[in-house]
Amino acid sequence: MIAKVICYALIGLEGVPVEVETDVNRGVPAYEMVGLPDTAVKESKERVRSALKNSGLLFPMNKITVNFAPADIKKEGASFDLAIAVSLLKASEQLIGADISDTVFLGELALNGDLRPIAGLLPILISAKAHGFTRFVIPAANAKEARFLGGAEIYPAESLSAVVSHLVGAEEIAPLEMVEYAAASGIKYSADLKFVKGQPIARRALEVAVAGGHNLLMVGPPGTGKTMLARCLPTIMPDLSFDEALEITKIHSVAGILDEEGIVTERPFRTPHHTATTVSMCGGGNRVVHPGEISLAHGGVLFLDELPEYKRSTLEALRQPLEDGKITVSRAGGTYTYPARFMLCASMNPCPCGNYGSANLVCTCTPSEIRNYRKKVSGPLLDRIDLQVEVDNISYDDLTASSAGEDSAAVKERVNEARRIQRTRFAGSGLSVNAAMGEREIGEFCTLSRESEKILRDAFERMHLSARARARIIKVSRTIADLDMSENILPKHVFEAVSYRLQEKL
Amino acid sequence: MTAYTEEERALIWLCACSGLEVRECCTLFRAADGDPVKLFREFEKFAGPVIKKERNGLYKEGNCQTREEELSAALAHMERCGYFAVTAVSADFPEPLVYADPPLVLFGQGRRELLKRQMFCIVGSRTTPSWAFKLGTALSEALSREFVIVTGLAEGGDLAAVRGALGSGNLVSVLPCGLDECYPADHTEIKREIAKKGLLLSERPFAEKVRPGAFQARNRILAGLSVGTLVLSAGEKSGTLITAGKALQYGRDVFAIPYNPGIVQGVGCNNLIKAGACLVSGAEDILAAYGKEAPSAAPEGLTEDEAQALSVLRQEGELHAAVLAEKLGKPAFEVAAILSSLELKGLAAKSGGNRYAIV
Repeated sequence: MIAKVICYALIGLEGVPVEVETDVNRGVPAYEMVGLPDTAVKESKERVRSALKNSGLLFPMNKITVNFAPADIKKEGASFDLAIAVSLLKASEQLIGADISDTVFLGELALNGDLRPIAGLLPILISAKAHGFTRFVIPAANAKEARFLGGAEIYPAESLSAVVSHLVGAEEIAPLEMVEYAAASGIKYSADLKFVKGQPIARRALEVAVAGGHNLLMVGPPGTGKTMLARCLPTIMPDLSFDEALEITKIHSVAGILDEEGIVTERPFRTPHHTATTVSMCGGGNRVVHPGEISLAHGGVLFLDELPEYKRSTLEALRQPLEDGKITVSRAGGTYTYPARFMLCASMNPCPCGNYGSANLVCTCTPSEIRNYRKKVSGPLLDRIDLQVEVDNISYDDLTASSAGEDSAAVKERVNEARRIQRTRFAGSGLSVNAAMGEREIGEFCTLSRESEKILRDAFERMHLSARARARIIKVSRTIADLDMSENILPKHVFEAVSYRLQEKL
Repeated sequence: MTAYTEEERALIWLCACSGLEVRECCTLFRAADGDPVKLFREFEKFAGPVIKKERNGLYKEGNCQTREEELSAALAHMERCGYFAVTAVSADFPEPLVYADPPLVLFGQGRRELLKRQMFCIVGSRTTPSWAFKLGTALSEALSREFVIVTGLAEGGDLAAVRGALGSGNLVSVLPCGLDECYPADHTEIKREIAKKGLLLSERPFAEKVRPGAFQARNRILAGLSVGTLVLSAGEKSGTLITAGKALQYGRDVFAIPYNPGIVQGVGCNNLIKAGACLVSGAEDILAAYGKEAPSAAPEGLTEDEAQALSVLRQEGELHAAVLAEKLGKPAFEVAAILSSLELKGLAAKSGGNRYAIV
């Protein structure tokens, strides 16, 4: 008898339906798998055999053929175990009367018959639902991830025997209770701006950067709190909408890094070490293409500490995703596209010894050393970082007033307001933040008064700015004006934007 | 082609083709009783006893066999590159240099007429702090209206002087290497611009790279050309102090800008002032020393906030933007905007991190 069961394979973030067909025939006992299964799928033979036996079920001593259709996509991973087991049971007539035709079975089997969680469940469920499937049997350990799907019957099962008793009607599994996504206002980030002492200029730069979606570079000596400031970025970013949360969860699910919660409610904060390879940063792998750090940072912050220490090639690879908001990785096994719309926050020292420009410490670097150090970050990459701010330490004696600043919530409110203004402005144009503006939009939305225009011109002459720096300054002034709720870009906004730049090169 | 007299041609050969040190050239010159033509014709006779060290063949221009051929090859190279040579026997050899260990020949590229003008030297160490850099640029700009500014080509103080004077073209940059070379190498663009608008000088053979002692020798020319020398920055043992020392030795004036005690880039400057150098806080200090008048500063159109910030900054000299914000009772980002405005007006400068200083 032939049995057909639906299962899903993942290609990037997309689920693709796979039919598991099992034929149990008379003949010399054999167990064959066809239809482009990879090693982990082939190994499921043994898992399924043991799981069946240890669940008190019968493993047929006949000629068994398992086929995966369509045959042209490569099937990977252990998520087919449950579907194979169920189809085997059905084909060997151990599931009399059970209707399995429109149910999707997902899960990995342990040798004792328990169901293990699988990576990438949520993207599979979302794709399957879009394909019209509404009934799912999933590992109980994946339940939290699935409960936000809505509009589907989902049965979380502990083991293969539980699945069988559910299917034959002996003991029904209670369908999963769906949960409405609530914008997680109650989340507790461990960082908060109120813990940052002093640093009014850097705090403001953070606020401007988040309000306009600008990338940020902080330059300062070691120990001035650059990392701490960066960690505060997610706390002042707008709350995740359900769609955003779902998209981030999909990526994290594929990468297998989802936590207990099941859905990502906090904006990600990724800090790859500077030894990170290009592949770990952008995504890759020899068979399955795993999302890289930039995709894991999607919707959140990618923090690159000590920017010049990263490999040049790794940094250059960021340029295209920074522009497009996604990364396409091509491998022999296929081409995968992952979203990668992240805010880049980088930090670096002003010179190799770290003391250049310091008030009381002596820099021991030669000009050429400093130049070489700064040259490690290429111009094109710097051009994609709108805000460049110096972070330095002031001794406590210099600051007399209680310098405990606002907390993140207050800043976030202003950010939300500025974002709202931007959404209204860009309605229908496909943009959402000022940082995404191109030359055309700058011309349309950033008209400068004659006075502001003159300031910019002066700034160019005095500070030897590049033409690309002009666009950067204008975009940042637009954001500052938005924070100020000003329709027009006033001179003071331009002046402030001009102040967010580094001390000129030597 | 510039016509050179026979004496000039002999000196050009000696300095460009003989491959001898400048010092050795001078010794030979004296041994030949100051007659370059005699020296040129009977070089072996004079060189034998004076040049004691055995050399593995003297420097040859191409595959030239004779001195005459070498000379014409050198002259052709000069013609090709637009160089000229001013020799100790030329009419326009800068007069102040005559009393200051003069080189026998100066090779030049650019505006030769600058050699006749009064010159003033501005130097500073490579690690000139940015406020001093800006001040130096401003001083150089103001002084270049009255003097030809003499300086080097390095980063820091030299570059400040170049930036200030390049606009008027009243600029002489003396290289420690030959005119074909550029040191530091990434200042090629600036060097080309100086050759176009101002004047490049070098006493070295065209293709010579920087050699040990070249900077000290170059610094004596800087000091020797100028009526006075301004030191923008100098550590305790900075090379710029050699220039200042030479200026004193030649009886020229030395000026220095003052530094806060404890700033390492300024220890040398403060030491110079202690030893009697003129303290400079503006171009008028230098102009007055030579009986010239400073042009009146342009009136400043400052807003009330800017004037207030500037007056606090003037009291403190240098302040962190956050501290200034606290003193003014304004949010830091507003103060950042005010400071940018002052910076654009040339009244303040970022001096490192988020600290600002008056200019």
